[in-house]
Amino acid sequence: MAIQATSSIYIAKSVSDAVSALTDQGPSAELFAGGTWIMRAPLRQEKERHSYVALSKLPELSVITVSENEISIGSCVTHAELAEALDGLPDMHVLVTAAAKSANPAIRRVATVGGNLSTVKFSAADLVPAMLCLEAEVEFMSEAGIERMPLGDYLHRPAGAARVMTRVILPRSEALSAHARLPLRKAGDYPVAIVSIAVARRADGLIAAARVAVGSVENVARRWQTLESAMSGLALDPHLIAGRAAELLGDFRARDGIEADGWYRLKVLPTLVRRALETITQQ
Amino acid sequence: MNTFADPTKAVMNLARRDARDKLRGRTRYTVDHVTPGTLHAFLLRSQIASARIVSLDTSVARKMPGVRGIATAEDAPGMHGIGIADHPLFAKDIIRYDGEPIAAVAAETLEQAKAAVAAIIVELEPLPAIVTMAEALAPDAALIHKDWKNYEVLLEGAARGGNVAWEAKVIRGDTDAAFARPDVEIIDSCFRVGRQNHVPFEPRAVVATFEDGRFHIQTSTQVPWTVRHVTAKVLGIPNSQVRVTVPPVGGAFGLKFDCSLEPFAAILARATGRRVALVNSRREEMLTCLCRENAEIRIRSAVTKDGEIVGREATVLMDCGAYGGEQVFLTTMTAHTLGGNYRLGSVRLSSRAVYTNTAPNGAFRACNGVYNTFALERHTDEICQAIGMNPLEFRRINVIGDQDIGATGQVFEGNVLGPMLERMEQLKQKMPSKRALAGNRLYGRATTVGTWFIFVGPSAATVNLNTDGSATLVTSGVEIGSGTMMQSLPQIVAASLGIDPSEVIVKTADTDASGFDLGVGGGRTTVSIGAASVAACEEVRKTILTVASEMLQTKAERLVLGNGRVEIIGVPGSGMTIAAVAKRAQELFGPVAGSGAFTKPGIPAMAGCAMGHFIDAIDIPVFAVHECEVAVDPDTGHVEILDYRVVQDVGRALNPRAIHGQIQGGVVQGLGYALHEEMSLDGFGRIRQSGLETYRLPLAQDVVPVQIDLYEGGPSIGPLGTKGAGEVPILNVGAVVACAVANAIGKPVHELPLTPPRVLSLILEDSHNLDLEHISRKWEENTIR
Amino acid sequence: MSLQLDVNGEDRMFYGDPMTPLLDVLRNTFLLTGAKDVCREGFCGACTVRIDGVPTMSCLRPVALLQDSKIVTIEGLGIEGDLTPLQQAFEDHDAVQCGMCFPGMVMSLTEFLGRRPEASREEMKEALVGNICRCTGYERIIDAALSVRLALEAAE
Repeated sequence: MAIQATSSIYIAKSVSDAVSALTDQGPSAELFAGGTWIMRAPLRQEKERHSYVALSKLPELSVITVSENEISIGSCVTHAELAEALDGLPDMHVLVTAAAKSANPAIRRVATVGGNLSTVKFSAADLVPAMLCLEAEVEFMSEAGIERMPLGDYLHRPAGAARVMTRVILPRSEALSAHARLPLRKAGDYPVAIVSIAVARRADGLIAAARVAVGSVENVARRWQTLESAMSGLALDPHLIAGRAAELLGDFRARDGIEADGWYRLKVLPTLVRRALETITQQ
Repeated sequence: MNTFADPTKAVMNLARRDARDKLRGRTRYTVDHVTPGTLHAFLLRSQIASARIVSLDTSVARKMPGVRGIATAEDAPGMHGIGIADHPLFAKDIIRYDGEPIAAVAAETLEQAKAAVAAIIVELEPLPAIVTMAEALAPDAALIHKDWKNYEVLLEGAARGGNVAWEAKVIRGDTDAAFARPDVEIIDSCFRVGRQNHVPFEPRAVVATFEDGRFHIQTSTQVPWTVRHVTAKVLGIPNSQVRVTVPPVGGAFGLKFDCSLEPFAAILARATGRRVALVNSRREEMLTCLCRENAEIRIRSAVTKDGEIVGREATVLMDCGAYGGEQVFLTTMTAHTLGGNYRLGSVRLSSRAVYTNTAPNGAFRACNGVYNTFALERHTDEICQAIGMNPLEFRRINVIGDQDIGATGQVFEGNVLGPMLERMEQLKQKMPSKRALAGNRLYGRATTVGTWFIFVGPSAATVNLNTDGSATLVTSGVEIGSGTMMQSLPQIVAASLGIDPSEVIVKTADTDASGFDLGVGGGRTTVSIGAASVAACEEVRKTILTVASEMLQTKAERLVLGNGRVEIIGVPGSGMTIAAVAKRAQELFGPVAGSGAFTKPGIPAMAGCAMGHFIDAIDIPVFAVHECEVAVDPDTGHVEILDYRVVQDVGRALNPRAIHGQIQGGVVQGLGYALHEEMSLDGFGRIRQSGLETYRLPLAQDVVPVQIDLYEGGPSIGPLGTKGAGEVPILNVGAVVACAVANAIGKPVHELPLTPPRVLSLILEDSHNLDLEHISRKWEENTIR
Repeated sequence: MSLQLDVNGEDRMFYGDPMTPLLDVLRNTFLLTGAKDVCREGFCGACTVRIDGVPTMSCLRPVALLQDSKIVTIEGLGIEGDLTPLQQAFEDHDAVQCGMCFPGMVMSLTEFLGRRPEASREEMKEALVGNICRCTGYERIIDAALSVRLALEAAE
C-alpha cells in the first residue's frame, strides 16, 4: 500500500540549484540547513510548510577560511565546527564563546551559522550579536546573482525573495572581543540578554573604537550606538563603562517573554557589559 | 515465631535487577508497547477555559480515512472524584478548563486520528472564566459547579459551598485567648506559590483491549486499583470487568496517582474491537498536568518573648483547578505540615480546595507539604527576627518531641526531630563551609525542619514458595523508578524466608492476580506492601518450619532459615535445602503459599479537633532536617547552591545506597521547585509553559552532591522498623533555599520559585510584605459558616 | 517515498514521509524503542543516537537526510549480552532509577569520554547540558562516568 507522503524535501545539488528550487516552489518552500527550528514547528503549533530545500550535500557551504584580512564562514558551518576552527584567534573570542556556549552540545553540532542568523523569530540567537559586533557581512545568492549586505541590514530584510545564504565574511582587526550571555540556569536555556563587545585600543590604552551588540533584549539584535560613542576615548574600565551603560538603557524597548520581562533584560545589561569588558581586559 | 530474629539480614545495598535492560534500552515501558496494528487514539481538547457546549457533530470525523471509532460523553455516564464525585470523563454540556477532553478518536495512525479530531465540529458559547482563587472566592463569583449540592459525597463531614470544593478545619484550644494575651508578639505572614509539573520522562500512556467482555488496561500508573475502580465507575460497569496491568513506569512522582487517560482507551477498545493506545504528547502533559497546586497562605502566630508558640492560625487556599481531585484529600495534610513541626498551645487551621477554570491539579511528591513547609519555616524565621531569637535555638526548643501533641491532638511518640537537629550540627562540622565560594556574591545559609507522613492504607501480598527454592511475591506494587520493587521488597522477603534476594521473583502488578492496593507513592510501598509481604512470608515460614521439623525430628523453635537452607540452630551444615522442604510440603499439603494484608492501624486524634479530614492523625510520621548554603548574585539575582545537607528519618535503612539515590534525586527536584520551575497562567486560564524550552528543569550544572545522614531508630510500625524514604527528600527544599536566600539578601521571601528576576526584584525593591487581601486576618471569615 | 538506512550496521527500509523525524522511524517502524520520545525539542537528550559517530538528537533529524549515514542506537552498543564499560559503571554505582534517560546518557557520555578522557567533574556536567534526568539528581551519573575514566587510566 503506497503511503501518501505529505512533505517533500529536495536535496539541492548546488547553491544555484537551491535558489531555483526555492523560486520554483514559491513561498510554501523553506530552506533546510540544520533544521532545528523547522523540526520543532509542529510542537510550537506553527503553520508547517511542507516542501523543503536541503543544503546538506553542499560541501562548499561548510568551508571556513582564515586569512590575514578576513574570515569566511560557510553558511552551513555548525556552531561546534565554528568554535573549534576559530579557537585561539585573538580577535574572535566573542564568536568562539557564542558558538561554544549556545544551547547544548548536540544542538551545536547540528545548528548552522546561516540558520542562526536567518531565523527571524528567534530573538535569543547567540551568533547574531557576536557577528554584529564583528561587523559581519552576509553573502547570498538569489535569482539576481550573488549579493552582499551588512548583517545588520540582513536582519531587517524583506521576506519572500528566494535567497540562499552562502557565507559570512568577517573582517580581521586588532580589536579584542568578548561575549556575555545570561541564561536563567547555568546553561541550557536561551539567554534573556546578550552583550557582545569588540574593543580596539589606542597606543595609550584608551578606547579607539568600540562595537557593542545587544541580543535577546529586543526582538532583533542590534548595535548599541550610544554606548559605543560614549566609550570612545575612555579608559577600558569595566565598572566605569557599565555605569555609562546604566544611563543609556532608555535606548531599548525591551521585550516581555514567558521566561523574563523586559525590565529584567534591561536591568542586567550593565552587568553583562561589565563582564564582557572584564573578559577583554584579561586577554 | 519471630520472623526477623535478625532484621539486619534484610539490610544490604542490593543492586537493581532492572538496571541492565534499562541501560541497554531494552526495557519496554507502556509507551514502547504501541506495536504495529494498534490503533492510535487522540483527544479533542477544549481550547477555551469556560464555555457551554451548544452542539457536537462527529459525523464528518467518523468518515475520515483510517478512523475506527469515536467516543463522547454519551459513552461515559459516570462521575468520579475523591471525596466528591464531581468529575466527568468528557466535558458534557459545560467546559471547565482549557484542555478538557470533549471527544476521543481512534484511527489506524496518529496522523489520521489528529486529522479526524480536527474535523469534529464543536459549537461553543464562551462563558466567563475564573482564573484565580481570589476571583473564585469573591462574594458574587459565578459558580464553576452549578450543581455542586447534588454531587455524590464520598466522605461526610466537610464543609463545601460555592466555589469551595472542600474545606477541612482544625480547631484545638482557644486561639482568640492566645492572641489576646499581653505578653505575646503577633507575627503575620503571607505566602504564594505556583504549580510544579512532574515532567516524568514517560508521559501518561495506556494501551487497552476489550476481550471476552472484559477490559485489559496496560497503563503507566502508580495505582492499578484506582484505575480499575474509576474506569468502571465512569463507564458504569462492574469493577470486575476491568483488569489493569502495569509495565515498568518511566517516572511518575505522583502524576500517575490518579486514573486519567485509561477510560478513553477502554471505551475505544470496546467500540473498535481493537487494541487502542493513547499517549499524551509532551505539550498535553505540560498543559493538562495534574500539577502540585498553586496555593496562597496566610499564617499568623502569637509568640512569647521566650519563643513559646501559644497560638497559631492559618488559612490555605489550594487551587484544585476545574475539578476537586487530589486537592480535596490534601486539605487533610495542612494540619500535619503547616500545623506540624512545633508544639502549639492552640491552633486553628482552614484548608480550602478552591475551584478555578484551569487544568485540575493533583498529587506531586510530598504534595502540599512542600509549600506548607516553605511557608512554615519562613514564618518561623520571621518570628525569630521579630522576637530576636536565633532560628536554630527556636527550633531546638519548639520541635515536636515525645508525648507532644500535634495540631489535631494526636500524641507523638519518641524524640526524633530534636536529635536530628543535633545530627545536622555534626554533619555541618564534618565539612567546612563553602562560604569562600560565594566570592563577591551575597552569602546565606539556613536550617529547616519538616514533618511528613507515610501514606499507609490497604495492601495485599501473596508469596508462593516454589519447589526449586525460589519464591514469587505477588502484589499490586509498581516499579516507578524508586527501586522499592527491585530492592526493598525482595530484600524483605528474602530475609524472611532465608533465601537470596535473587531467588525472589517479583510479579509485576496485575489486578487479576493480587489483592487490593492503595498504590505506589506517599512512601508507602516499603511500609504497606512490605508489611503485607512479611505477613505472607510468615505463613510460608510456618509451613516450612512445620514440615522441616517433622523431617528433621527437631522442634521448630530450634530451626533457622538462611542461605536457602533450614538448619538446626547452632549446628551449621545440618538440615536441608528449603527447596527440599518445599517439595515435601507440596507432596503432603499441596503447593506452599502464604497471604498477607496490611492497613492503617489508626492512631487517634483528639475528638472534635479535625473536621473534613481523611486522615485525622498520621500513623507514621517522617521527619527531615535540611540545611543549605547559597550564593546570590546581587546584579542578576541568580542563586547558586553551594552546599546541601540532609538528615532524614528512615526508621531502618534497608538499602542505604538506594535511599541516598532517592535523596539526591528528590533534593534536585526540590531545587527545581525552589529556583527554576515556573508555571504561570495566562489571562485565559491556559498554562504558558508548554515544553522544556520554557519550563526549566535542573541540569547537571545546577546541582551539588547532597551530604546525607540517615537517622535510624525513630518509632515506626513499618516492617523491620522502616519508614518510606522516597517521597520526603523533596519536602524541605523550597523552605531551606528560601530561608537561606532571605538570609543572604536580608529581605523576606514570600514566593517561589526564586527565579533570577524574582530575586533581583526583591533585592532592588524596598522590603514589602506580601499581603493577600482576599485572605482575611480574621480566621473565621476564611471558613464556610 | 522509500529510503534505505544503515541502522546498527544493518540495511533497513523506510516507506513514508521524508520529513519524519528519525526518532519516530526508529521507534515506530524499526521497533527500536531504546531512543525515547520525551520533549521532541532537542532539550532533554532522551532521543540521542549516534549519526556517523556524532551523538545527535534523533527528534530533530528528518529521515530523508540520513541515507548515507551510519546510525547507531543504544541497541547497537556493546556486544551481545555484555554491557559497555560505561553501562557497567552505571550498574555498579546503582545509578539507574526510572531508566528513561539512560540510553541518551550512555550515548552522550560514551562519545564525550572517548574524546575527553581527562575531563573534570565540572566539564562532564557541562557536557550534559543536553541530557536531562528527572530522577537521579545527576551526581551518581557523574561518579560512574569518572570511575570509567579512572579505570581506563589504571589499565594503561
